[in-house]
Amino acid sequence: MEQWARREDRRLLSGRGRFVADVAVPGCLDAVFVRSRIAHGVVRDVDCAAAREVPGVVGVWSAADLSGLPACAHAAARLQDLPPVPHTLLAKLSTAEAVAGREWPALAKDRVRYAGEAVAVVVGEDRYRAEDGAAEVAVRIDPLPAVVTPSAAADDSVLLFDGRSNTAFRGEAGTPIDETVWQEAAAVVEARYRQQLLMPTPMECRTILAVPEQDGRLTVWSGHQMPHRLRSELAALLGMPVDRIRVVVPDTGGAFGSKSAAFPEFVTVVYLAVMLGRPVRWIEDRLESMTAATRGRGQDQRVRLAADADGHLLAYELQIDADVGAYPHLGVGLPMQTAWMATGPYATPRVHASVRSVLTNTMVTYPYRGAGRPEATIALERSMDLLARRLGLDPAELRRRNFIPADDVPYQTPTGRCYDSGNYAAALDLALETIGYDTWRAEQTRRRHDPYALPLGIGLSCYVERSGGEPGGLHDFAGIEAHEDGTIIARCGAASSGQSHETTFPALVAATLGVDESRVRLIEGDTDAQPEGLGSFASRSAQVDGAALHHVSALLIDLARERAADLWGMPVEEVEWSDGSVHHIRDGSAAMDVAELVKATGPLSVDDRFESGMGFPFGAHAAVAEVDPELGTVRVLRLVVVDDCGVVLNPAIVRGQAFGSAVQGIGQALYEGIPYGDDGVPLLAGGLLDYLLPTATEVPPIEVKETRTPSPITPLGAKGAGESGCIGTPAAIVNAVADALQIADPGLLQMPLTPDVVWRAARATKYEGAR
Amino acid sequence: MKITLTVNGDDYPLDVEPRRILADVLREDCRLTGTHLGCEHGVCGACTVLVDGKAVRSCLMLAVQCDGRSVRTVEGLAGPDGEPHPLQRAFSAEHALQCGFCTPGFLMVAAGALEADPTIGDDPERVHGLVESNICRCTGYEPIRRAIMRAAAESAFADPSGGGEEPAAGGRPEF
Ligand code: FES
Ligand code: FES
Repeated sequence: MEQWARREDRRLLSGRGRFVADVAVPGCLDAVFVRSRIAHGVVRDVDCAAAREVPGVVGVWSAADLSGLPACAHAAARLQDLPPVPHTLLAKLSTAEAVAGREWPALAKDRVRYAGEAVAVVVGEDRYRAEDGAAEVAVRIDPLPAVVTPSAAADDSVLLFDGRSNTAFRGEAGTPIDETVWQEAAAVVEARYRQQLLMPTPMECRTILAVPEQDGRLTVWSGHQMPHRLRSELAALLGMPVDRIRVVVPDTGGAFGSKSAAFPEFVTVVYLAVMLGRPVRWIEDRLESMTAATRGRGQDQRVRLAADADGHLLAYELQIDADVGAYPHLGVGLPMQTAWMATGPYATPRVHASVRSVLTNTMVTYPYRGAGRPEATIALERSMDLLARRLGLDPAELRRRNFIPADDVPYQTPTGRCYDSGNYAAALDLALETIGYDTWRAEQTRRRHDPYALPLGIGLSCYVERSGGEPGGLHDFAGIEAHEDGTIIARCGAASSGQSHETTFPALVAATLGVDESRVRLIEGDTDAQPEGLGSFASRSAQVDGAALHHVSALLIDLARERAADLWGMPVEEVEWSDGSVHHIRDGSAAMDVAELVKATGPLSVDDRFESGMGFPFGAHAAVAEVDPELGTVRVLRLVVVDDCGVVLNPAIVRGQAFGSAVQGIGQALYEGIPYGDDGVPLLAGGLLDYLLPTATEVPPIEVKETRTPSPITPLGAKGAGESGCIGTPAAIVNAVADALQIADPGLLQMPLTPDVVWRAARATKYEGAR
Repeated sequence: MKITLTVNGDDYPLDVEPRRILADVLREDCRLTGTHLGCEHGVCGACTVLVDGKAVRSCLMLAVQCDGRSVRTVEGLAGPDGEPHPLQRAFSAEHALQCGFCTPGFLMVAAGALEADPTIGDDPERVHGLVESNICRCTGYEPIRRAIMRAAAESAFADPSGGGEEPAAGGRPEF
């Protein structure tokens, strides 16, 4: 194994990985969806007759074909109508109140509410046959006016659901701030920011393969972050007991938050597999994903930030109009993540954040790497730079004056969070030192006096995020078994989509038990092998599942000591564990390896549920950017990311996550965005040539550094890693560009900072005192 | 249509519809699922394989165009005795993969270039050019660049003569 840095590497580097699309099941059918090209409209007709005649097509169904089914003596008589899409209660992402009266049909029945919504499904002997069939489905939809921004949708002049407002959720964090605070403050800055919709874009799109088994059970393969949730949602939809469904997550080609729900296509495919009694799979293709996979972000924000004359923050107000897409089922409550994190790393006495979640004719918004925290960080950090300028203070100095002191942690924020750990000044100091802040400031001054030099800016962004999950979802399940042959099997409820669990978790268990790593093997992503679990989301795998494995390892040690004490007829206090063996504290002859103990006393295994607290990782990112005012281009000269995720289980892997995450953050700042036409249809005909993911060309020199402030929330002390770049990096880059251009109106710089945006901003009025 | 593909040295006599893309035929008909599809429109490069030694996007090529030609996929990268290719070792050592979905494409782009000219490592710009041709959403590319440089250094060391006479061949993918 030594020649591979990770256990995953051997198979993934030799073409022997197994992703869902690689799983061969004899007789498997391919599903293809017929999708609306219209963003908002009334479905008049979906004619599947011609499609059913296409050779190789096994079946074609519109919503009408799968609803109002008569109860008959058919083999699938227990099937009800095609069930609707379930909503997410986890982390209050959705609420029963928001979805009441707003059904999300798996296939649209009489109304389509976003371009790309499925109106029919074709099942064929292979993908080519199914697509032949899909081409023959005739769809007639009468268009209605479409609304694609929350501001446009909020006035309810166009309703997505008749008789119900487009505003599907309201919430707030903190207490409203009295007007006198703003009136009396020495300095107040105000701004509006747009957090554009993004596409998570894992390189493997969504996948599902449903296989009805001989014994009446159903095996579902899916590239997924939460296999147990998928199992229980599918069981509820199909009216099957949970133990009749097995969900298996094989290799998964990235997820970034976007692969954790039961999507309309999943509902349809699983339903058809059961109805037909045949394996059916759906392997989403990229163009499909670009119209019908969930989006991230999507907020219009208004902020006010006030300080006294010494630069001490007095109050911060954040108002969010969130674009949650056409249905409230997956993310109507997601913007609360932004509201709860509005305080950031500062000891601001008054903070108030309010949320209005508005339905629009776009695909549904759902967590994407960062999930609410980038939006909080970007709004606050851009505003901090505005305030620094207003007060004539250095942006680093303004931040330093306002950080929550390390001694005040745990810290209760005005927006309802309790920060577990934090040393924000240390992270900023390390970022400034690493990037060479003073040197760049000197260079900036030099350039401002040189009429031929391109303007240069330095941007800072200090963030606090939250990891582990929300109350009610901060636990996971883990188990450990010692076997006679010396192997140790560790199990947990997580599911990796590229985060190296197979490498990291066995190493952790081996270190806890004091055995050689090669003896430990991890099982996850199979609901038959690990019956209970929550999954991998909210940066929780190391924090929660790592701690859970650490915990069951300790329980295994206790159990082994008890067993040995019984076997040897000694008090348990006299039996010690070290290096995978039990032995008597004095009598050297009483000693045996755990494998021997299993042989002598029977199977040794422990299962438990482990509950973590919320973790609050933090950091400071700094960027230097050069702008060409004539071309509108931005060149990031240097990016430094300092992250603190507490105890690190595998530094190389955490660094890799931080780096990749920072590049996604650059994507949000400079390149990624979804343009919509007036008719509400995304203008992405060129696929990934229109939605610009960063390529190697766009990656600047990035330096990843860390501070380590262990978290007291678990005995392991690890907090979440991996989302930091998406959270911290965008504001650092935007602030650098704003600093270079010195524009008076920050609203002119809205992400992504395309050449068009930057070119216009470069021509706008500069702030007073700019040179 | 009856065709024969030589994939990783083995002959595959196949009967395929002319419209089937090479990637699907490799994956479904030859059951070589190491070649991945990340976009199916020629942008991401996950599907890159070598056809007669040159890197191609197998989502943009029909299988029938490869009749009688030799195709190399990620499954054919290791040596005959199973000894890993220097690129495979280097990718692991540099953490140039996380989820591994894009990896076969990057490996094959780099393998084509490196085999055409083992000295590419002497020119970091050329290596950078290779990395720029594909998309990875996980790693941020820098580890991939380092891995190719590392493998190139190793290959150059193993082949001090400098290898290929046509340094330009096989470098960039063919569109
Ligand atoms: S699959 Fe993306 S280029 Fe072929
Ligand atoms: S490693 Fe996941 S896309 Fe490259």
